Parts: sequence; C-alpha cells; structure tokens
Amino acid sequence: MDGHPNRVLGFLAALRALGRQLYRSIFRGSYPASLRQQLAVVVNNLILHVHPTRVFRRSLSPQTTFGLGLICFYLFIIEWVTGVYLMFYYEPSTGAAYGRILDLDYVITFGRLMRNLHRWAAEAMVVAVALHMCRVFYTGAYKPPREFNWILGVVLLLLTLALSFTGYLLPWDQLSFWAVTVGTNIVSYAPVLGPKLRFVLLGGDSVGSDALLRFYTLHVLAVPALAALIINYHIWRVVKDGGLAHPLQRHPGGEEKTAPAPRTDPVIPTFPLVVYAELLVFVVLMAGLVAASLLFDAPLEEEANPLRPSNPSKAPWYFLGLQELVSYSAFWGGVMVPTVLTLFLLFLPYFDRKAGGEGVWFARERMGMIIVWTVILAGIVVTTVIGVFLRGPNWSFYWPWQGWPGPQ
Amino acid sequence: MEKWLGSASLALTLILGWAVWDAAQQEWERVQRTYYRLALSGAQTEAEKEWARSQRIELKQLQLKERGTVERCVSCHLALENPMFRNFPEPLRKHSSLLESHPPKQFGCVACHGGEGRAVTALEAHGQGGILAKPLLKGDYMQAACYNCHGLKTLPPRVTAAVVRGRQLVNRYLCLGCHKINGDGGEEGPELSTVGSDRSWIWLYAHLARPQGVVAGSTMPVFSLNREEIKDITVYLMTLLDSRDQLKNLPLLAKRAAKDYPTERPEDERNHGDIKFAADKGAVKFAYDGNILFRGAGCNLCHMLGIRGGEVGPALTYIARKRDGENLERLLKDPEEVLPGGKMPQLYLNERQIKALVGFLSTLS
Repeated sequence: MDGHPNRVLGFLAALRALGRQLYRSIFRGSYPASLRQQLAVVVNNLILHVHPTRVFRRSLSPQTTFGLGLICFYLFIIEWVTGVYLMFYYEPSTGAAYGRILDLDYVITFGRLMRNLHRWAAEAMVVAVALHMCRVFYTGAYKPPREFNWILGVVLLLLTLALSFTGYLLPWDQLSFWAVTVGTNIVSYAPVLGPKLRFVLLGGDSVGSDALLRFYTLHVLAVPALAALIINYHIWRVVKDGGLAHPLQRHPGGEEKTAPAPRTDPVIPTFPLVVYAELLVFVVLMAGLVAASLLFDAPLEEEANPLRPSNPSKAPWYFLGLQELVSYSAFWGGVMVPTVLTLFLLFLPYFDRKAGGEGVWFARERMGMIIVWTVILAGIVVTTVIGVFLRGPNWSFYWPWQGWPGPQ
Repeated sequence: MEKWLGSASLALTLILGWAVWDAAQQEWERVQRTYYRLALSGAQTEAEKEWARSQRIELKQLQLKERGTVERCVSCHLALENPMFRNFPEPLRKHSSLLESHPPKQFGCVACHGGEGRAVTALEAHGQGGILAKPLLKGDYMQAACYNCHGLKTLPPRVTAAVVRGRQLVNRYLCLGCHKINGDGGEEGPELSTVGSDRSWIWLYAHLARPQGVVAGSTMPVFSLNREEIKDITVYLMTLLDSRDQLKNLPLLAKRAAKDYPTERPEDERNHGDIKFAADKGAVKFAYDGNILFRGAGCNLCHMLGIRGGEVGPALTYIARKRDGENLERLLKDPEEVLPGGKMPQLYLNERQIKALVGFLSTLS
C-alpha cells in the first residue's frame, strides 16, 4: 500500500484487503469455491451446521415442502424481534396498557409498523404451522423414524396457539377483552378441572389486572422460551432423522428399503444453493409482511369495558370452530372434540403404522388416512368459516350479504 | 438463484424505504414550521422574534395527571393562547375566552371537544378515520359536553338550549314508548340510558334521519324530523353517558366543587323524572277527527293501515273485526290493562280524543 504509485488505487486496494479480513474473521475462511470448501462451510458455521452438508436435489424444489417449516421458523424470529420492540413500550396494567397501544400506533416511530408486523406475523404463523402440519401429513413424513418429531410438531402447534391467544389480551381493547373472556369460558367447560383451570389461567373469576399480568408473563417469557427450546429440538431431529422424508427406493427384486438413498436422486452440497434458497424465502416473506403491515392496520377497538359486552363476543378466529361447536353443546364442543382431536394428532404416527408413501404427496397406498384427515380438516375449516363470517349477534346465523340487526 | 435473491432483496429494500419514508412524514411538523414562520413574520418586538426563532419542532402534549392521560392536540393547535392568531383559520387559531375558565393544562381538550387526544394526525385525532372513530363535537353538539359537567342550573340557558329542546322532542315523539331511559320506558327498542357513550353523534344523527340506513332491518319508525330537531335530539342523547364516562370528568368536577358550585345535578335532572308524556307543554295539539288524529297522534308510525305505516305494532287495517268499540276504548285509555306487558305506550288521550279515534278505528273492517 505504501509503495503504490496512485493514492486512490492504493486506498481502494487497502479497502478491499480490509473487506477480505473482515469476511475471514467473521466466516472463518474465504468464500468457498471448491466442493470440499463448500461442505466445510456447513460444518464450520454455527448457524449453518444445523444443516447436513449435502441434501437431495429434490429438497430444493419448492413443491417438496413449499418452505412451510422454514416460514414457521422465520415467523417465530420476526415475532421475537418485533415483540422486543413492543415490550420497550408496553406496560401490563389495566390502567396503562391501552394507552400504550394507542401511543405505539399514533406517535412512536415505527410503533404502528412493528405492532402490525407482530400481529400479521402471528396470524400468519398460526396458518403456516397448520399448513406445515398438513404438508407433513399429506407427504407421509411422520412415518418411522420421524414419529417423535411429529409429536414435537403437534406440541409446537399448541404452543403457537397459546402464544397467539395470550398475546390477544394484551392490547386491552373491547375485542381482546371479550375474545379472551369467551376463550377462557370454553376452557371452563372441561369436567371437574375446567373452572379451576380457568381460575388459574385468569388469576381470578373474571378477566382483570391479574389475568393481564399472567397472560403477559406467559406471552413474553414462559411460552416463547419453551417454544424456542422445542423448535431447536424439532429442527435438530429433522437432520438426525435423515432430512426431509423422501420416497422409498424400490430394489430390482421388488422389496422396499429406506436406505441408502437411490442413485437416481442426485445429491447437491447444501452451500450455496440451499442456503440461498432459505434466504430467498426469508426475504420474500419479510417483504410481503412489511408491505401488508404498511397497508393494513392491526385491529384495535375501544378500551376494554367489562360493563359493556360486545355482541357477538367472538374468540380469536382460530378458536371460532370450537366456539361454533360449543354453541351446539358445551361438553361435546368444548371438551370432547378438542381432547379427542389433540390425542388423535399426538398419537397419529403410532396408530397409522402402515409403511409406504413417505415423501410422496397424496400417496395412493395411504388413501384411507388421507380421506380421514381431509374430512377432519374440512370440518375444522367449515366450522371456523361459519364462526368467523356467518355468526352475528346472539350467535345467530347470517349470510355475509345479510345485514346484522342492531348497530354496527 | 442469485438473481432471484438479488431482486427479492431489492424489493425488500424498497419496501423498507417506503416504511421509513412513511414514518418521516409528520403532519404536525409542517404545522409547527408554519406556525413559527407566521409568528416570526407577525412579531412586533425583538423579544417576540427571538421567541419565534428559538422554538424547536417537537411533539407537544398536555399531561393531564388528574385524568391519567395525555393529549397531544397542542402539537398542531399551537396558537391556543396567542392573541396574534385571533382571526386565523384552524389549526392555528386562538381559542375563545372560555379557555380562561377552563385552563388547558388542567382540562385538556377532549373533555369538551371529544376526539382522540393521543393521536397526532388530524384524521385520527378528529375521529374521521384511522383506528378509532371518535368524531369531534362541533357547534351545538358541544352543548352536550357543557351539560355533562355543568348541568342546566349554573349556565346561561342558551348554552344548553339544544339539550332542553332535545329532551322536549324525546318527550313529544314518545321515544319512551319503545326505548327505556334510566328506568322509564318500553322494551321494544334498545335501552338508551348510556347511548351517548355507545354511539357517536354522527351515528345518532344518521340513525335518527333514517334508522334503516344505519341499522339494517330496524323496525324503528321514520319520524319526519327536520334537521334542527334531529340535531337537538342528538345533543340530548349525547348527554346519556355510562358510569365510566361520567366518572372521567369527576376530578374536574371536584375542582368545581371547591369553588362552591353544587356538585350534584338536581335530582329531577339526574333520573330524568321530568320526562312524562303529557307533562310537556310542547305536546302536539290533537285534532278531534279520528282519521286525522290517527296520524296526528303518530299511530301510523307503529301500525300499518293498508300498505302504509310502521311494523312495530300489529296492522290495524281490519282492527274492527278483532276488537269492538268498548274494547278499543279501554285499550286506548290504559293499554297496560288490556295488553299487559305489551309495547303499546300510554298516550294520555282525553275522552273526546279516544271517542274520535275509536269511531275511526271501528270503520276498519
């Protein structure tokens, strides 16, 4: 650098050298060019080492997983970051909470953006987790050796709902107050323990300052910590269970065998293509979420008023299928259906033991289970749609084009 | 893959740039710049000029400790107490002299004007859109706010004239025949005891003008009210608050009590005990022809006759087939006796009116 004839060029050369040094110091080596180096990158990088060094080429094509598990993970991270931003301003007391939310929306720099992001990412996470589970089911990806990881996934679904539900109360507006009142009422329909459970959840008999503090603590500390732990385990198990589920290899003799992977399914190094694809999913997701958050505001109604129930009082949308069932029968809708459904989900891999169909969408040999699942799914979707769009005051039925009687 | 990643990243960067640009656009900053520029150009003394030059562009808010809230209206309405801006258009206009008896540091703005005090854009603060809709009280509608703290007795009559007229109209149009207000009235329509907290004045106005336009399928009759009447009734309804809204201004009322004003509204005002149908001097003078009386007393608002009329009560097209003259007479004299628990209001008709009406109704068969 000293001896360079041109000062400008010398400065640029020094800058390039600094850049290289920075890159090497961070990534422990230069940009990987050879195959050997590319494999080493995955092993040597803290974040990348959760990947295998090589993956099947089919893992890269979008229709294999539609990136749904990855999207769930990213949404969790986005919730984490935006949640921390909101925590700087939020105060979990009934007197101050609503004012803080208004301040976030009205005056705090990026406050409204962050709140919208947090809200829309949360709604998206419930949808993405459900779709991810459907993907895993329809491709038979819970077959051995992945049974236990399915259970972890079901637990993560429940934790996602818990995160969303506990967060629902925090704005302390009419919407959240009555949604949580209704949601916790569903809990109390459980036999023997129901009312006790509701009391523990709310820290009292009705939604009040203790409930707010309890939901806040669960929402920002307990549930996310547990979820983060299980997410790590879930992802680690994906790798340890042999990566994404892939179709069985058919030997010339006709006998099926899971390993080793067939030659016809080529293998590629994880770095760079898979890493880039994962980054692409993040960038597209983030761009979509930020755009949505700039265009659509998270709902907020008037401050919670325990004296003035909203009519209809609806639980958060993902519980409206349940609320619809509860409107027919509190015991069957509020207790039996959710319990049976949860048990069915949890132990699905242990009673659907017929081998075959792994890694293939809608495999013909699994048609029985696929029909059972689709019927259940359709039931959930239909009851939820009825609950969200077709129920008006006093839980009466209204078509969308029919006006509700009474003031809007 | 790099190409996809590159273009997606570019799109994300642009969207984030949009977010930053969006956050950098602050309406109140423009208003403040304009204000200090005007203050500088209109400054008479060197001290005033120095003051206008030294002001920072910053968010301003009133800390209302007694009411446990903040109001940021003054971020734009900067000239509240600046005599130089007496005849300027809003938002830079000096407030009327009422500010002297209602110091903003103590009362804030929302107590009288309504709106959303925490918001800092005109649209949101004035409740014309945005997240919540709490429209500002304007013109005569502010009488509701005056009344809610002061009642009727301590103010000059014209200040709460619309409230009084509105209450007379509620009386004249027999609103209590269907609606309950603080314990009195019917069950047919929704209770109105806290309607001022539940609804905005814009909603109430629109609803009074044409109920079915606001509430689909409403059976409330369309009263042919003129604009003044709709306004007056709306102002009166805005004074019917729930306990929380009544308590909101209590700290301010406590101050007033210290100045030896009566804290309690007189009892008859508080429970609206003076709303009795016949007691009102403004009540309609009935003509004693049954046919005309039928319309004059407002029967057709609730009852159908042929193809015209309301749907609250039963159609009366063939009423004479069902009830004879004596039965009708008893019914009109005391509806509660003939139809216990029914919706039909006591109309307080005199003998001659009842005779005329029964004569008319007996022809309907």
